[in-house]
Amino acid sequence: MAANEITVKLDGVNKSFGEFRAVSDLSLSVRAGRVFGLLGPNGAGKTTTIRMIANITAPDSGSISVFGRKSDAKLQDRVGYLPEERGLYRRMRISDQLRFFAELKNVRGKVIESKIDEWLARVKLSEWKNKRSMDLSKGMQQKIQFVTAAIHDPDLLILDEPFSGLDPINVELLKEIVLDLKRTGKTIIFSTHQMEVAEKICDDICLLNRSKKVFEGSLREIKSSFGRNSIAVRCEGGDGVLDDPSLVSKVVRHADEAQALLAAGADAQTILKRLIDSGAVIGKFEMVEPSLNDIFITKVTEAA
Amino acid sequence: MKKFLAIVKREYIQRVRAKMFIVSTVLLPAVMSLFGIVPAIIFSIETPPMRIAIVDQTGRMYGQVRQMLFSDDSSQEAQSNNPVERRGGPRGLARFSLEEVNASNQPLDQIRAHLDQRLRARELEGYIILPPDFLRTGEAEFVNRNPGDPFSLGPLQTAINRAVREQRMIDANVDAETRQELFKRVELKNGTLGVAGSEGDSGGSFALVFVIGFVMYLAILMYGQIVLGAVIEEKETRIAEILFSSIRPFTLMMGKLVGVSLVALTQLGIWALAFSAFAVYGINLLASRGISASMSGIRPSLYIYFGLFFLLGYFTYATIYALVGSMVTTAQEGGQLAMPIILILVVSFYLFWPVSRSPDSPFAFWVSMFPLSAPIAMMVRIVTQTPPFWQIALSLAIGFGSVLVIMWIASRIYRVGMLMYGKRASIPEAIRWARQA
Repeated sequence: MAANEITVKLDGVNKSFGEFRAVSDLSLSVRAGRVFGLLGPNGAGKTTTIRMIANITAPDSGSISVFGRKSDAKLQDRVGYLPEERGLYRRMRISDQLRFFAELKNVRGKVIESKIDEWLARVKLSEWKNKRSMDLSKGMQQKIQFVTAAIHDPDLLILDEPFSGLDPINVELLKEIVLDLKRTGKTIIFSTHQMEVAEKICDDICLLNRSKKVFEGSLREIKSSFGRNSIAVRCEGGDGVLDDPSLVSKVVRHADEAQALLAAGADAQTILKRLIDSGAVIGKFEMVEPSLNDIFITKVTEAA
Repeated sequence: MKKFLAIVKREYIQRVRAKMFIVSTVLLPAVMSLFGIVPAIIFSIETPPMRIAIVDQTGRMYGQVRQMLFSDDSSQEAQSNNPVERRGGPRGLARFSLEEVNASNQPLDQIRAHLDQRLRARELEGYIILPPDFLRTGEAEFVNRNPGDPFSLGPLQTAINRAVREQRMIDANVDAETRQELFKRVELKNGTLGVAGSEGDSGGSFALVFVIGFVMYLAILMYGQIVLGAVIEEKETRIAEILFSSIRPFTLMMGKLVGVSLVALTQLGIWALAFSAFAVYGINLLASRGISASMSGIRPSLYIYFGLFFLLGYFTYATIYALVGSMVTTAQEGGQLAMPIILILVVSFYLFWPVSRSPDSPFAFWVSMFPLSAPIAMMVRIVTQTPPFWQIALSLAIGFGSVLVIMWIASRIYRVGMLMYGKRASIPEAIRWARQA
C-alpha cells in the first residue's frame, strides 16, 4: 500500500450535543497501513470523533471520507469497531457470538468457521470455544470483544480504549496482534488516554483537548522536534533543586526516580552541578526524550 | 436483508434453545390444567348428606317439597320408597336427606325443644317449620346448625318456593298439563339477518372472537415483556454500539421483533396443537354421549381474518413494548412504563360489547380503524355484520403501517438514547431524539 494513501479524512468536522461542544472544527488524515493514535484526556472528544468515523453518529457539519468515499452503511463491512462501551451476550456460546458478529459484517459460509478457530487460537482461548461468555473472566471477555471487531478481516480497525482494564500480559498480546495487523497492511485508529501505551504502538498521533485538535503528526517527528529536554534522576538528597522553577518546569517522582522537564533556558549541566553542590548522592542522571504526556501538556499550555 | 436474517436467527435460536422456553412450554399447560382439575376434584369430594327435618303444619306440603328438592330441574321424579335416604341437589354441592316430623299430635314448642336437642346431639343439621298459614304468607322458619353454609339455603329455598307455587296452582284447580305448560322454559335462538345459510354461526364465531381476544391478551402479556427485554438486552450488555457499526438500528429492531414473534408463534403453535388434540378427544367424548360441539358453522374466511387480526394485534402491542424498551435503560424501568399498555389492551377488549351491539355505528367504524383497538373491534364487526372489504383492508393497512412507523420512531430513540448512556428518556427528550439522529 502506498505510504501516502489516506484511509480516513476529516475536514472541518463539528459535533455538538445540545449546548455541549464535543468536537469543533476537526480536520485530520489517517494514513493507510499505519497505527493512528487519537489521544487526549477524558472528555476531549475522542469517542465522538471515532463514532463519526464508524458512521454511528453524523457530524453537524464538515465532511468525513473513509477509503476515499463519503462514509456510508456499505463501507461498514470494511470497518471493524471496538467501542469503549462494549459487552457480549452473556448466555451465548463464544463460537455462536463470533459467528453472529461475522454474519453482521456479511461474512458467509465456511470461512466463518475457520476464522473463528484462527482467532481463538490467536488470543489463546481455543478451549473456551463452546463456553458461554458468562463463564469467562473479564480479561477473556475483553479479548473476545477484540476478536468480534476484527474477525471479518477489516481494512480499517477502530479501537476505542482497547487495553483498559487488561493485565500487562494480555496488553502485550493484543499489542502484538495490532502490530501484526499493521504489517498486513491494515489501518488502525486507536484511542486512549494512556499516553504510555500509545507511545509504544502509534506511528502517527492526534492530540485532542476540549474538543479541539492540539497537534497532529508523526510521533517520531514530534519527539525529535522537542529534543532531549527531560532528565531522569535517581539521587539521595538535593530535592530542592528539582523544585526550582527557574530550572525545572515540571517534575514527576516515581518510586526511586524522578523525571524532570527542563524549564525554558535551563540546561542539564546546571542542574547536575546544583545537585552535586547540594551534597546529593547521584545514582543516575540521564537525558531522555520527553514522554508523550509531557509533549501533550506542553502543547496544551502553548495553545492556551 | 442478510443482516436482518442474522438478527432474526439469533433471537429465535437463542430463545428457543433456552431452558426457560422448554420449561414454560411444558409447564403452562400443566399449570392451566391443574387450575381446571383441582377445583373439580375439590368440589367432587363427597360430604355426608345434610339431614333436615321438616315440620309441616299445613299437612300437605312435605311431599311437594321433597319432590321439588330431589327432582333435578323440573319434571320427572320417580318416587322413592325410603324418604330419608333419598339424595338430591344440584351437582352434588349440597345433598340432603329429609324426614318429616309429625306435627299433629304434639304442641309446637315441644317439637321445637325435641328438634333443638337432636340438633345439639348432631343427629340433624337443621329443621324447617312450615306454619299452618304458610301457603298464604309464604313465610317459614329455617333453623340451621351451621348458618354460614351458603350452599344449602339456596336449593332448599328454591325447592320450597316451587313446591308452594305448585300447590297454590293445584289449589286453584289448574290441571297437571297446564301446570307443565306454564313452567316450560323459554329458549332464544340465534340468527343472522339476510345472509342465507349463515344462521346459527354467530354463536360459535363470537366464541372465537372472544378466544382470539383472550389469546391475544395472554400473548401480549407474556411476549410483550420478552420483546421489552430483547430491546433492552443490548443496552444492558452494552453490545448496541458494536451492532450499530454493522447494522441500522431499524433493521436491528425489526429483526428482534420478528425473531421474538417467531418464538411466540412457535410456542403458541405447540400449545394450539396440544389443545386441539385434547379438543378432538374431548369432542369425541362428548359426541359419544350424544352432545354435539362442532364449530362447522363458521365461514372459512373467518379463520383467515382471525389469523390476520391476531397478528396485527400482537405486532401493534409488541411494537409499543419495543418503543418503551427504546426509552429505558433497565428491564425494571421498562416494566413500570409498560403498565399503561396493559390498561389500553383491557379497554380495547371491553370495546367488544358496544361494538357488537351496534357494529355499523360511526363509533364502531373509528375504533375498528384505530390501531390499538382495531384487532378486536374489527373482528367483532366481521362476525356480526361484515363491513365492506375496503374497510377491512384499510384497517389492516393502518395497523401494519403504524407498526412500521412506531418501529422507526423506536429505533431512532433507541440509537440516540444508547449513545447518550444516560438515564431514562423523558417523553420530550424521546421526541427530540426521534427528530435528531
